[in-house]
Amino acid sequence: MKDSLKSSSYDALVIGAGIAGGEAALNLANTGYKVLLVDKELSVGGKMIMLSKVFPTLDCAACITTPKVSEISRHPNITIFTGSEVSNIRKISDNEFVAKVTRKPRYVHVEDCTACQLCEKACPTSVRDQYQFGLIGRKAAFIPFSICSPKAAAIDIDNCTLCGACERVCPTHCIDFTMETETNELHVKTIVVATGFNLFDPNNIPRYGYGKYKNVITAMQMEREIAPTRPFHTILRPGDGKVPDKIAYVLCVGSRDATVGNPICSQICCMYSIKQAQLLMGALPMADVTIYYINIRSFGKGFEEFYQQAKGMGVNFVKGKIGRISEKENGNLILRYEDINKGKLQEAEHDMVILSTGVLPTKGIDGLFENETLTLDQFSFVGQSDMLASPAKTSIGGVFVAGAATGPMDIPDSILSAGAASSEAISYIIQHA
Amino acid sequence: MEIEKGKTAKYLREKSGGVPEQAKENLKEFNRIKKLMLEALAQEDLTIKQLTDKLNMPSDEVVYHLMSLVKYGLVATGDVDDMDEYFTYKLKK
Ligand SMILES: Cc1cc2nc3c(=O)[nH]c(=O)nc-3n(C[C@H](O)[C@H](O)[C@H](O)COP(=O)(O)OP(=O)(O)OC[C@H]3O[C@@H](n4cnc5c(N)ncnc54)[C@H](O)[C@@H]3O)c2cc1C
Ligand code: SF4
Ligand code: SF4
Repeated sequence: MKDSLKSSSYDALVIGAGIAGGEAALNLANTGYKVLLVDKELSVGGKMIMLSKVFPTLDCAACITTPKVSEISRHPNITIFTGSEVSNIRKISDNEFVAKVTRKPRYVHVEDCTACQLCEKACPTSVRDQYQFGLIGRKAAFIPFSICSPKAAAIDIDNCTLCGACERVCPTHCIDFTMETETNELHVKTIVVATGFNLFDPNNIPRYGYGKYKNVITAMQMEREIAPTRPFHTILRPGDGKVPDKIAYVLCVGSRDATVGNPICSQICCMYSIKQAQLLMGALPMADVTIYYINIRSFGKGFEEFYQQAKGMGVNFVKGKIGRISEKENGNLILRYEDINKGKLQEAEHDMVILSTGVLPTKGIDGLFENETLTLDQFSFVGQSDMLASPAKTSIGGVFVAGAATGPMDIPDSILSAGAASSEAISYIIQHA
Repeated sequence: MEIEKGKTAKYLREKSGGVPEQAKENLKEFNRIKKLMLEALAQEDLTIKQLTDKLNMPSDEVVYHLMSLVKYGLVATGDVDDMDEYFTYKLKK
């Protein structure tokens, strides 16, 4: 793992270290180019590293991501800056960009940390763990999650009482509160934007009760509950710790809904919900799982079979639009919905509701470019200037885009798009040498 | 200011003029709840419902803090009830 500042000049800058950015960085590095891979989070891996299994094969997500992440981390041509953000990019010429990258202090010298967790044990604090989507606590001295990379502790300075307990127990003395924010000026020949996507915040649809009713959670939270590195010892309702047995999925939350400003289909929610339903039926054999949908969009290879497989396992599919959710005293939830096939208003009781929230663009990437314009599409994803012939090309020569930064996309498509972006970036470097 | 290795928290505390109020408050609250939960579980093994009633706390907060204490190695998970719905939790020996 390299995490140094030795060189301020690289062939390529890859912004975002999810599966798309990681794959693009690996392709460039394997071709012999020096890559700086930047991510704002404390670990590389993006959303994929947080998933349970992947549709439609039900392969373990961690088993696919971990070797890839370790290859990225150990590659001699890849330098990784985690906890870092690009604050400004200037195009100087056809083969030179200058990027300012800000690295927030981790307060731990990563290369000396053995991930022994003694600091975690000694730290007296407890705050909500962002990597478990708030379902459980973590310390202010913490290893972000067990398969994170770099596998090293970090200090959450906002929640730290500066008691020094972590420092006193650290056997390698790698905790260092003198670390400060660093700004690096980097010269690169090409840039790959792989900043992925944001998830719709269900607080924006108050009638679903997210935040108010504690047994209404998001699909990302359920993804954590069913992952091997899960927050609880089994699947539980966060409202009262009951093992649920009548679970509902509400699809298209914040997707295909102009009233919340997102008219497009998120492409992945149908399939990830069907995946989770199958996994839940495996984990809780007595549970009923119902999926409320408007249309099931099973368009990819093996997707229709995957949908039929869920039906065969007993997952209940109801073509219904949810009007509102209310809560009973025992924490169960009443879903009021329009049964689209019957044209009738109906009610159903469930003991846990999962909101399958949609895909939104990440914000602010276009604002980084000082003397060029990065054009966004009508939905604010990074625009593809030649979608059919050169899908990775953007409005700026030498800047390419990969993965869900261009729009909703699953993992295989993100990897494919990263292949296109890295090939285009390589040919750009060669042409402008 | 001379900085001693292994004592850099003191350096930052002095440099930034103390500890953020919010961090101090969070710690106080966590310690209060932890103490209550551990004392209750020291008397007997309890379900989340029983802890909720005993501590007069919202049940979702009990879940959050109790599961955190399980993660921190202070509490262990016991058996599930006959309906396979609620677990019992006990102090880790
Ligand atoms: C609940 C859920 C379940 C899913 N299940 C599946 C599944 O089973 N199978 C499947 O194929 N797909 C699944 N997906 C979709 C999958 O997560 C995406 O296809 C994949 O994550 C896209 O990868 P990406 O690298 O483009 O984006 P991301 O995973 O979003 O990664 C983007 C990275 O960029 C970083 N970043 C963003 N902005 C900046 C910035 N300004 N500076 C620095 N870094 C930045 C982020 O921190 C992140 O690490 C699921 C998605 C969800 C939400
Ligand atoms: S910072 Fe020190 S105590 Fe904490 S995990 Fe790393 S080596 Fe262990
Ligand atoms: S100095 Fe901060 S991170 Fe370290 S043990 Fe104390 S509160 Fe935790």
